[in-house]
Amino acid sequence: MAAAAVLLVLFLLQNRPGELRQRVVFLRHLASKELSVRRLAGSGTAMDRRYFVFLESARRRIPPGTRGVAIFLNPPTKPALYLASYALAPIPVVLAPRQVPPRWIAAVYGESPPAGWRVLATVPGGALLAPP
Amino acid sequence: MTGLPLPLLCVAAILLAAGTVGYGFAAALVPRGRAWRAERLSWGFAAGLALLAGSVALAFSFHATPGWLSFLGLAAVVGLPARLFRLRDRATEPAEPTDGDRASAVLLAILLLGVALYALRALTEPMWANDYVAIWGFKGKTFFAERAIPDRLFRWLSLSFSHPEYPVGLPMLYAGIAFLLGRWDDHAMALLFPFLQVATLLALYGWLRRRGAGRPLALAAAALLSQFEPLYRAFTTGMAEVPLSFGVLLLGTALADRIERTDRGASRRLAFAALVCTATKNEGLYLIGAAFLVAALSALSRKGFAARTAALLALPAALVVAAHRLVRGSLPLRDFDFSLLSKPAVLLPRIAESIATAVARTPPAAWIGLAALGILVAAGRTTPGGVPLLALAVCGFAAYLFLPALAVEGPAWLVETAFFRTTAALAPLVTAGVAARLAGVVNREQ
Repeated sequence: MAAAAVLLVLFLLQNRPGELRQRVVFLRHLASKELSVRRLAGSGTAMDRRYFVFLESARRRIPPGTRGVAIFLNPPTKPALYLASYALAPIPVVLAPRQVPPRWIAAVYGESPPAGWRVLATVPGGALLAPP
Repeated sequence: MTGLPLPLLCVAAILLAAGTVGYGFAAALVPRGRAWRAERLSWGFAAGLALLAGSVALAFSFHATPGWLSFLGLAAVVGLPARLFRLRDRATEPAEPTDGDRASAVLLAILLLGVALYALRALTEPMWANDYVAIWGFKGKTFFAERAIPDRLFRWLSLSFSHPEYPVGLPMLYAGIAFLLGRWDDHAMALLFPFLQVATLLALYGWLRRRGAGRPLALAAAALLSQFEPLYRAFTTGMAEVPLSFGVLLLGTALADRIERTDRGASRRLAFAALVCTATKNEGLYLIGAAFLVAALSALSRKGFAARTAALLALPAALVVAAHRLVRGSLPLRDFDFSLLSKPAVLLPRIAESIATAVARTPPAAWIGLAALGILVAAGRTTPGGVPLLALAVCGFAAYLFLPALAVEGPAWLVETAFFRTTAALAPLVTAGVAARLAGVVNREQ
């Protein structure tokens, strides 16, 4: 009985009131907002919220028929690739390839577009480009 | 549908519809009667989810768009034989002593608090864990948006981060919910996880009650499990641990029932649980192998038992594996170097490193919890119901501790990134096994 009570106390102590209160506040403030705004405010985009704004804006501006998107950012990290792949799915994403495949476009974040690339759309934090 | 409330209600309706359809199907798995009601709800929910994911695979194979038509069509096709082969046995009602009612009320309140807290954690924001974004959610969203399983998921090196070698049961389920909802909503869809928690608690409570545990003990076990934050937390929401923990509990309880021949449905439940576990995660297949071993050792003296159990476990698993092979071919487990198995001089220090890292990374509170768990195990007595569950949990734990030794990135890396999360999925199995042992003591004292 005592051992079970110890376990229960240990488990209940995992509940930090501050964290729970924060969750309630988050829900109250954001439940009525659109899905992308809720994701923007959440943990999945905490690494760089402007990067998610860039991705979400890019997603809405990707030309029809695009086969894939090559993302260029500095530094090119794995979490950035995962988030881009998920946000842009089902359009395939690769991170900083040496050559952009045919009928793919480039999405450049936080850097100047390479010279000679045609700007398809300017989005917050970067641009969508067609390689020459 | 801009805000959360309406899609959330729609997902709740979809999950309830799946559960209702599955409840009908569960008549072929679970006998009739009040004593089985909690378990029937639980098995029915699992069956409903399996039908939903299966309807996506079925529609894809006919190059059709999944949706209500394919889901209800499959439910009708499967429901008819399920109705024909329904179990007509009726279990006797367990005695309901009136003492302990107050304790039961408190325990029920703790349980409901655990469910509410997990719902809050799961539903605070869209599902976000790295493995959800890179693996489970990514594949599900791709299936939904492509209305097919694109070959590139299994062929392109650039998509290898999404682990093409993992089973696609969970992504199929995500896609199924999205097809019924009519859109991809990874926030409302998180409701699946509290539903899975409730289904797990129902399976645990129902099985313990049926196997002789008093209401307070069964409720205490379910209440404790509901509060187990390492499993039911925001981070695991979206990943495969919560679904697997449910599937493995179903596997363990069906295994225990099958060994003891409690009812005619035990074999069917075991086969169905094998299907669920194999489709959810790679270690599901391993646990099926472990279940066979446990069954074979438990019933060595019974002629033909091992062969029949092997068939019950292996055939559904083979079906799932064959379907995956058909779609994606044979894919290696790239995270592991199995050639190390033939190099003991290299392997042994790596096993030692795995264990040392796991010990070093276990926080003090967890040691106290493990000590309390050890006392509970020691306080109980060996019962036929508890042994298979705990044996299965030990097999799972041993694998999670041993596998990092084979990790390509090194033992410490896998222990740090996955060990605690994956072992948490064994919690329902351990809870059921320990409570079954304690029931043995309580029953003897009475």
